[in-house]
Amino acid sequence: MSSYFRKNYVLLITLSVIAALFVAAAQGMEKKDFVITLLRGLSVGSLTFLVASGFSLIFGLLDVLNLAHGTLFMIGAYIGWTVFVRPDTFVDLLTPLALILSGFALGDVYPLLATRIRLGLSVKRILPWALVLVSILIFGFILPRYPISIWDVENYGQSPVTYSFMADQGTRLLAPVAAFTEISAPLALIGLLLASIIGAFGLSLFNSVTQQQFKLNWKNYAGFAILLLVALLTFIFNESLTASLTGLSSNWLFVIAVLVATLSGAGLGALIESTLIRPLYIRPIYQLMLTLGMSAIGIEIVRAIWGRPEFVMPKPVFFNGSGGVCPATNFADWWANNCSTILLLDGRVRVYNEIFIPIVGLVVLISIWMLLQRTRLGMVIRAGVQDREMVEALGINVRRVFTMVFALGVGLAALGGILAAPSMGLSNAMGESLFLNALIALAIGGLTNYPGAALGSVLVGLIQQFIIKYGQIGIAIPFTDIIFKPTPPLVPASTVLLMVIILLILPNGLLGKKE
Amino acid sequence: MEYILDVQNIHTFIGQYHILQGVDVRVPKGSITALLGRNGAGKTTTLKSIIGLTPPREGKVIYEGKEVQDMRSFDIASKGIGFVPEHRAIFRDLTVEENLKIAERVKGDYLRKKEFIFDLFPDLKRLMALSGTALSGGQQQMLAIARALVADNHLLLIDEPSEGLAPVIIEHMMKAIRLLSKDSTIVLVEQNFLVASQLAEYYVIIEEGRSVQAGSMKDLANDKAAIHRYLGAA
Amino acid sequence: MTQQINSRLSAFFSTHRAALFTLLVLILLPFIVGLMDGESPMMVFANESGNSKFAQGLAIEIFILALYALSFDLIFGITGMLSFGHSMFFGVGAYLTGIAIKTFGLSLPATLGLVFIAAIVQAILFGLVLPRVKGITFALVTLGLGSVFHIVVMSSELGPYTGADVGLQGVIVPAFISPANERLRFYFIALTILILVYLIYKRFVDSPTGRVCVAIRENEGRARMLGYNTFYFKLAALTLSSLTAALAGFMHTLYQPIVSPNIAGMGFTVTALLIILIGGVGTLSGALVGAVVYRLLDFGLRRYIGESASFISGAVYVLFVLFIPFGIVGTWKMKSLQIKQGWQRIQKLFG
Ligand SMILES: Nc1ncnc2c1ncn2[C@@H]1O[C@H](COP(=O)(O)OP(=O)(O)O)[C@@H](O)[C@H]1O
Ligand SMILES: [Mg+2]
Repeated sequence: MSSYFRKNYVLLITLSVIAALFVAAAQGMEKKDFVITLLRGLSVGSLTFLVASGFSLIFGLLDVLNLAHGTLFMIGAYIGWTVFVRPDTFVDLLTPLALILSGFALGDVYPLLATRIRLGLSVKRILPWALVLVSILIFGFILPRYPISIWDVENYGQSPVTYSFMADQGTRLLAPVAAFTEISAPLALIGLLLASIIGAFGLSLFNSVTQQQFKLNWKNYAGFAILLLVALLTFIFNESLTASLTGLSSNWLFVIAVLVATLSGAGLGALIESTLIRPLYIRPIYQLMLTLGMSAIGIEIVRAIWGRPEFVMPKPVFFNGSGGVCPATNFADWWANNCSTILLLDGRVRVYNEIFIPIVGLVVLISIWMLLQRTRLGMVIRAGVQDREMVEALGINVRRVFTMVFALGVGLAALGGILAAPSMGLSNAMGESLFLNALIALAIGGLTNYPGAALGSVLVGLIQQFIIKYGQIGIAIPFTDIIFKPTPPLVPASTVLLMVIILLILPNGLLGKKE
Repeated sequence: MEYILDVQNIHTFIGQYHILQGVDVRVPKGSITALLGRNGAGKTTTLKSIIGLTPPREGKVIYEGKEVQDMRSFDIASKGIGFVPEHRAIFRDLTVEENLKIAERVKGDYLRKKEFIFDLFPDLKRLMALSGTALSGGQQQMLAIARALVADNHLLLIDEPSEGLAPVIIEHMMKAIRLLSKDSTIVLVEQNFLVASQLAEYYVIIEEGRSVQAGSMKDLANDKAAIHRYLGAA
Repeated sequence: MTQQINSRLSAFFSTHRAALFTLLVLILLPFIVGLMDGESPMMVFANESGNSKFAQGLAIEIFILALYALSFDLIFGITGMLSFGHSMFFGVGAYLTGIAIKTFGLSLPATLGLVFIAAIVQAILFGLVLPRVKGITFALVTLGLGSVFHIVVMSSELGPYTGADVGLQGVIVPAFISPANERLRFYFIALTILILVYLIYKRFVDSPTGRVCVAIRENEGRARMLGYNTFYFKLAALTLSSLTAALAGFMHTLYQPIVSPNIAGMGFTVTALLIILIGGVGTLSGALVGAVVYRLLDFGLRRYIGESASFISGAVYVLFVLFIPFGIVGTWKMKSLQIKQGWQRIQKLFG
């Protein structure tokens, strides 16, 4: 025991200083302020954690600094918003998206196909480019003509801002159903399918690594078949699906939005890893530039589709009740009226922002912990973080695990995004600030340490919220009459300073292991 | 003779360095074959090239009659090759039990092999719950070998098992390896010539990235000149 | 004697043909652009507004960017330290220049002296953390230092000095190098400074100190085992880099009517990274080529595409990474070796 103290005294002293600061901060304010600030801190900490944990898993196992992680957080928010506020658009998109992806689901088949084709060397060189070009041309022809009922960023009356506002007022506006006019439906569907297969085949030809020859079985076609089925079903039952989604209570719609955002994030992550990141494992610096570029592209795509103005996503009714006995003072009242706020020690606490989000954060924290500690995948991840080669030499396909971890990480970020949307609102910049938070949290907690990510995130959230609060009520400087009010710039500066100090004392962060 | 592994004239690069410049290794089935040579000669790189961690740029690696040099590591390993690397590479964040479980290739491997492994290394049994780092050097080496035994491997590549171990433990290790060679073929890299000569039936000497001499261990033991020239031992 | 000099000269000319040609083009650039636009050289000398003056302006911006990118290449490309706070080096130079001239009315040489002193001090500040943190942690600490600087610059309390989020403006530049009236002079001064710094950098990289820096990038542990105290070498690289970046910041403030606080932000560090990745990491000349490509691309895209320019530039970077991974200069060097080898093989076939 005493050897533990001797080894870790720096950490223990640092932690006690932080705890002491925390107690001092608590002493300086009223109870109700303290409760609210604490919960807000945990809320920001939870969102930070969702971004930080994914980033850290990816960095730990793949050694990839995914600088686009904040952007992917933002994309999650916008995707979720679309499902929640415009289910009709969402349903319209399902068919073409499933078709576009279907070709990529045949990934295992192409290498075999490629070995069957015997061509001259020069043709072989041009073929991938030609295929990709053809695919892009077909997409370029069909996609602009494919009817999707959508908003219009140029026109305020039909912009996301308006739709969002109307949804908050309880009327869900829908645009008129878009119909196939410029192009016939079968042509569009078959064209998309073909373009996808051609494009995916072309891309697979760029990757010249010889693979083990194996027999194809039904599993290699399953993904393709499912996507095709989804595309067909959503096409045929488009209207009834839209009607049933719009008919749902906003609670269920919110659940669906969260699921869709998370899964799309995961899918996007898998796609990015397997197409863009994979060729660059041998050139780490270039991954940095790649993810930077992706980040810039992602922000522009969001701007082009959803526009620049900020808007707020409405909360599901479960968290949006008012009037009557609200703010609730006990659980029964809250449950009966779904009050948006409750009174806790006289402080008005917003249920969604300050209670629901931290709970989700906690649930995710525990689930991922269980995944890491209790499953074979988790075991492989923990081993791979330390020594990838050895894991591979045991006969484990680490690359496949890479893809899964990237998907998991981006999925977590997207989940964070959709959770944040009703509390932070949606803006082009929402990813950036949270990403900086996450980086700081990881530096504080330990870059590739899972509990460290949680500890760092909570610390960052708490410090920011306490400083904001003290900015409002001021700090009475002892023995003087001066009341010091920290100004807003001090909020980011304080966490950054904490990071620098902690890194100077403990270069690997609080819980990071020594190399 | 039937060869389970036939390495033909491989050339391996690490970065721009041409490390292996023509290595041939033939391993008869059921034998123990020692790779000998000075420090930095390329023995470790040879093992890594066989299992695809540093894939050779030229030459062939034929395992059980199939060319494997173009395959990915995990595919090669899955064909039944167990790798016990230099410095053991025990996973620090995993418990001893997890270090074994992770090597399962088919579900249930670990449960099936458990008894066999404990018979071989009784020490491991009481260490199961400890983390990988809490072990002594000898225990780590046993764990590393045990890890290669969990899956059904026909060929074991063992890199310097005696390195840094006390004589008593080396004895134990040698016994274990001898026992293992009853069921599987072993390629052994060994600096300690005494250990190698007691264990192995065949040898290949590697010098500056080339295989320079091979044959049966008995002959080498009498070939003082070669021992002196390539191994620097008396 | 003269013959020897002659042969040396001709050898010099033939090995540096490309560089000398580029230099010549750069010297003539204002006049060539002027002639193409129908302006006589006299008009160019008189700094009359027109395409030539505009091109000079763009070129000056490129020179400044190139200086800044060079300084980043020295610590990242040559010495292997990834700093995410590099924009602070530039920002300190830029803001200090503005404040010294505007608020304290210092003369130009005094300001430059002050900027250099500040540059050395901040290199030492960054250097203080060097022995403790490495690799990605160094990146994070420098990111932290950089963001604190950015926040300080942006804070409203310092508004009277820094201009807060509006930016620093109203710096009165001495008339003899006024970017408005004496732009041609500014152009040649900037060009001269860039060339001098570039030559100094080349010398540095070829010097024993520079070679140790490269060794540190390749493998710091080994460099230390060879008996070098790597800390001093890293500090030397940091100091030279800091001086250069501060000089670039100094020129930036003199040239630009408004110093935007963006130049102190993380985004501007990323700009440096992108430039040397485009040009080729660790090549020095890549920083120059990269700056040209980056600025022209940015300019062209904003002009002809407008709003979504950064989408295109993002895509261009991604394509660059995937298909020209060693940057323009790096790839060209490799290919030229291949071409040479190809030639030799063909010559052997016939010879
Ligand atoms: N990652 C590497 N980079 C450069 N050279 C290496 C690397 N790994 C090994 N080498 C070189 O390859 C040679 C062979 O190494 P190795 O196979 O480990 O030798 P052995 O196992 O016989 O002692 C040595 O000269 C070593 O310096
Ligand atoms: Mg070795």
